[in-house]
Amino acid sequence: MTLDWSVVWAHRDALLAGTVTTIFLTVATMAIAVPCGIVVAALRLYGPAPVRALATAYVELFRNLPLILVVFWAFYVLPILTGVGLSPLATGLAALALNVTAYNAETFRAGLNSIRRGQTEAAMALGMGRLQALRRVVVPQAVRRITPVLASTWVSLFKDTSLVSVIAVGELAYAAMQVRAQTFRVLEMLTAMAALYWLLGYPQAKLVDWIQRRYAVTE
Amino acid sequence: MDFDFSVITDHARFLASGVGVTLALAALSGVTSIVAGLVLALLRLYGPRVLRAGIVFYIDSMRAIPVLVVLVWTFFALPIATGLTMPPFWAALIGLTLHLAPYAAEIVRAGVESVRPGQTRAAVALGMSRAQAVRRILLPQAIVRTLPAFGSLLSVTIKDTAIASVIAVPELMRQSETVAGQSFQPIEVYSFAMLVYFVLLFPVTRGVDRFYRRVAHLGRS
Repeated sequence: MTLDWSVVWAHRDALLAGTVTTIFLTVATMAIAVPCGIVVAALRLYGPAPVRALATAYVELFRNLPLILVVFWAFYVLPILTGVGLSPLATGLAALALNVTAYNAETFRAGLNSIRRGQTEAAMALGMGRLQALRRVVVPQAVRRITPVLASTWVSLFKDTSLVSVIAVGELAYAAMQVRAQTFRVLEMLTAMAALYWLLGYPQAKLVDWIQRRYAVTE
Repeated sequence: MDFDFSVITDHARFLASGVGVTLALAALSGVTSIVAGLVLALLRLYGPRVLRAGIVFYIDSMRAIPVLVVLVWTFFALPIATGLTMPPFWAALIGLTLHLAPYAAEIVRAGVESVRPGQTRAAVALGMSRAQAVRRILLPQAIVRTLPAFGSLLSVTIKDTAIASVIAVPELMRQSETVAGQSFQPIEVYSFAMLVYFVLLFPVTRGVDRFYRRVAHLGRS
């Protein structure tokens, strides 16, 4: 077996472009999924009953589906439902955002619910309005519990962006596998792909550990 | 827009075989991951120092690499590196175990560390050896406490088996792709697959939560 690692360096441009797309997908998905998650969580907690049921159904559905299936489904179904042909990148982004929004909504809901009701009651007894109590008493405490979960969702999302490669979005996994198909340097390219993900992901995983230690709630 | 769900009934047997492979792969990799995770966690907690550092590095690395990459590497690159060729199912089992065992290990570790040190000290004071204290005092409490986390790991396992479709394991996702491609009815086929996955996954998460509520008191100390 002869290995030729120069193939990795020779295709550095493709790998770099893939890396950029991976990072873009992660950032863009989170930028969509955090505000949307807040809205869905708020609808679930404070909305009228039918809206609440709908929001719950959405969250439970997407938390119980494999993301790769959502990606395929978005690729084939979204153009028909919306009548607009989306690029693979936009489709992948939509699928990721649908998935992560559901997880984030659950994170926000659980975070808000984890603050004991007595806190709101005490705030209201002190003369605060319901919104004021939420904004000044509940949310600041909930943020401490939500941040570490969001951080680990971020790392999961970073890894899950690799799944949109199945609909030919040119992110890192797709780029590396394309080079593999062109050059037949299978072991070299796949190892380089794993190494690049490791280089990007390892510091993120460590950062999550740090955030979790820092925000650890001891009661 | 016309939907024709007869494509599902026409390929019922083919799709059902996919469900069977999904369940078999999930069950097998669930068991191997939990066993490997338990071993990893115990070595990380009580093993020799050199081994501990290696295990921490392995666990953190696997948290950084996507499961798709692990599966593709196991199936395509590992045979080149080792000279061993594997059928997709076994490659998927190895890849999923490599990926999931670290998560199981972290769950076990968190459970063990959540049991107060006074418990071990009391056990040792009563004359138990360290191994005995771990086996009879720590682990029984830790295992109960980790049940919810293992429940979500199980649901992650089932979801991750769908990614094995990229290395051509004939599980539900792969079979659905095949039927969708042949029938040109992707909407019906993928929507049906969604339904099946939801029906498989929803009771798992709910069932584990319900079971945990019944046994939670066993983990309190």
